[in-house]
Amino acid sequence: MSSTKLLTLKTSDGEEFKLDEAVAVKSQAIKNMVEDDCVSNAIPLPNVDSKTMTKVIEYWKKHSEEGVSKDQLNDFDKGFLEVHHSVLYDLLLAANYLNDKELVDVICQEVADRIKGKTPEEIRKEFDIKNDFTPEEEEKIRQENAWAFD
Amino acid sequence: MDSAPLLSLLNDDLLIRILSFITHDSDRKSFRLVCRTFLKVDSFHRTHIRILRPEFITTLFSKFPRINSLDLSICPQINDEAVSMLMGHGSTHWSIRLRKLVLSRSTGLKSTGLEMFMKSCPVLESVDVSYCWDFGDKEAAALSFGGSLREVKMDRCLGVSDVGLAKIAIGCQCLEKLSLKWCSEITDLGVDLLTKKCTELKHLDISYLKVTSGSLRSISSLEKLEFLAMVGCSTVDNEGLHYLGKGCPSLQEYPTKIIQGLKDLKNLKTLVLDGALVSESFFKIINFNCKYLVEIGLGKCKGVTDKGIFQLVSGGLNLNVLNLTCCSDLTDIAISAITDSCRSLLCLKLECCNSLTGKSLYRLGLHCSLLEEIDLTDCFGVNDTGLSYLSKCTKLVCLKLGLCINITDKGLYAIARNCREIRELDLYRCKGIGDDGLYALSSGCKRMQKLNLSYCSEVTDKGIECLGHLPELYNLEMRSLLNVTGTGLTALATRCCGLAELDVKDCANIDDSGFMALAYYSRNLQQINLSHCAISDVGLCMVMGNMTRLQDAKLVNLYNVSTNGFEVALRACCVRLKKVKLVASLRLHLTPDIFKALRAKGCRIRWD
Repeated sequence: MSSTKLLTLKTSDGEEFKLDEAVAVKSQAIKNMVEDDCVSNAIPLPNVDSKTMTKVIEYWKKHSEEGVSKDQLNDFDKGFLEVHHSVLYDLLLAANYLNDKELVDVICQEVADRIKGKTPEEIRKEFDIKNDFTPEEEEKIRQENAWAFD
Repeated sequence: MDSAPLLSLLNDDLLIRILSFITHDSDRKSFRLVCRTFLKVDSFHRTHIRILRPEFITTLFSKFPRINSLDLSICPQINDEAVSMLMGHGSTHWSIRLRKLVLSRSTGLKSTGLEMFMKSCPVLESVDVSYCWDFGDKEAAALSFGGSLREVKMDRCLGVSDVGLAKIAIGCQCLEKLSLKWCSEITDLGVDLLTKKCTELKHLDISYLKVTSGSLRSISSLEKLEFLAMVGCSTVDNEGLHYLGKGCPSLQEYPTKIIQGLKDLKNLKTLVLDGALVSESFFKIINFNCKYLVEIGLGKCKGVTDKGIFQLVSGGLNLNVLNLTCCSDLTDIAISAITDSCRSLLCLKLECCNSLTGKSLYRLGLHCSLLEEIDLTDCFGVNDTGLSYLSKCTKLVCLKLGLCINITDKGLYAIARNCREIRELDLYRCKGIGDDGLYALSSGCKRMQKLNLSYCSEVTDKGIECLGHLPELYNLEMRSLLNVTGTGLTALATRCCGLAELDVKDCANIDDSGFMALAYYSRNLQQINLSHCAISDVGLCMVMGNMTRLQDAKLVNLYNVSTNGFEVALRACCVRLKKVKLVASLRLHLTPDIFKALRAKGCRIRWD
């Protein structure tokens, strides 16, 4: 049996997650704490709830598995990101807080993909964004888009 | 819902990160229009802008504080007066932070205006004045005021001579990248001074210059040179012979002298020699001296033989990019040598290498698993078996099989099964391809973006319908598919929302029903060629009127459209149309009003 160290992570709603150190250090923030040797007790993560943490750990575990082909990882990622945009935001904020650059990029790419090829109205609908322009402002920007530059 | 979760939760850094993944200009423009936060992020993040009208420069620069790259190439009437107005307004803060300036095709600009630019932009690093035909030594002298210039593109500045080049060489000694393509007044003297003054040069393009081996000797002193392009520098044509007649080194000697010059360029990574006459010793010496070479262009070169290729790559020269277009003397032996050494091969161009057989494809599939791009246009020896060998290169992104008449749907099954990353596929005139092949492609190659099926006459509506299952398809060429009707086009249009470029020329059986669907569903279409289709007045009006992104349309030989039909259709889109091709006889029948309207909006009309 290999001596892998287990870390305990405590989320904002009090739940505790036990995780292999080797997997948890995908988060640069956790990695720093490990190196600074302040992980004897549970690591508090007040900005992440348990629902989001579960998903993040699911991602970390899959990307730490051995013998997984790139195609399988791609398929996993695609399914992992097929969620409502509110879940994506929670994930993005968590990944940013935990400082996992790879996961941040993956989620940002997904958000960008959901924006591509859509009109502004469609983007607002997709992400439940309110249009806070006045009609004059909006028209001015439209003119700029059409006439001022390419 | 009060205000959007997306906005209140994400900070600027994350929004900027998301924006950086949005590459298409049209998407960025949509992004700006969503809400104020998005507008703010885009305004803050934008570093490059391509302006359509000069009046907007000062306002746009004050709105976008990070812009340091300006493209004026599509801005009409950039001339000296316009520049002096821009600069003379006092608020020239924007020019102080400009690092890159694109002025290509600004034929109205002269040395006075150019000098104003150079003097107002103290940190300018890159300037592009290509295709300014009239540019001469005066303009080159103006450019030489740009002391911090690192990159200059002067393709086709036909008036620049050695005198102008000397001024640039002396004024811009930090130059790292210079392109002098087609500047035919420049001779060995100019190149020599350039190499003496601009010792930091990493990238040099002297294609089509009338230079001799003397230039090569000078260039060989550039220790940092990584990229050298000399396309067409030793082509023997009437001009060349005349030049030779003036007592220049004979063609026999020239290749040897090229080699001697090149052997000192130890850092050379890229060498592009298309159209040259090469000898065997050339290959030996490149192999011996240029150890860092990763890319070599020998397209249309004479003298490329199996033995030469063997000498080029033997001993482990691991090329990434190899262009052997029209090197038709090559056989499977050459490819065998390449696959033995170049295991990291990414891009291989073999157009017209018609002595190659399936053996080459077998070896490629076996050894070059990183291959991303291969061009086998007009390679007669490519057949279904060969394609199944090639499909072992699972990372293929771009596959060109134009004029490969021996392939059928069977070959496509193998590609569809294994090459899931394919984005671009050219099946021009592959008569053996039919609906079944397209069905396979649409199930397997979901990343397909660009597809050419022109003249694949077996394809029917069923096959075109399948293409609707390719979510990323944006460019489709399907000329002369007589078995495709409005039904097929409707099915395609309904599902393929991303379609931006479509060519259905000579699909004489596609009628209004198909085009109505196109007009309704294909909102992203920017470019269309519907010459010789069975569209009528109503269909054309719908197409031109509804497709708000349409900028380029070819409308030749539309026999079912009346003159009035054209009037109405053109009027419906004259606001956004940039290019249109019409049959010459219409010139006499359309009203002058419509021409005026089109020209006023900057639309270019081409007559067939």
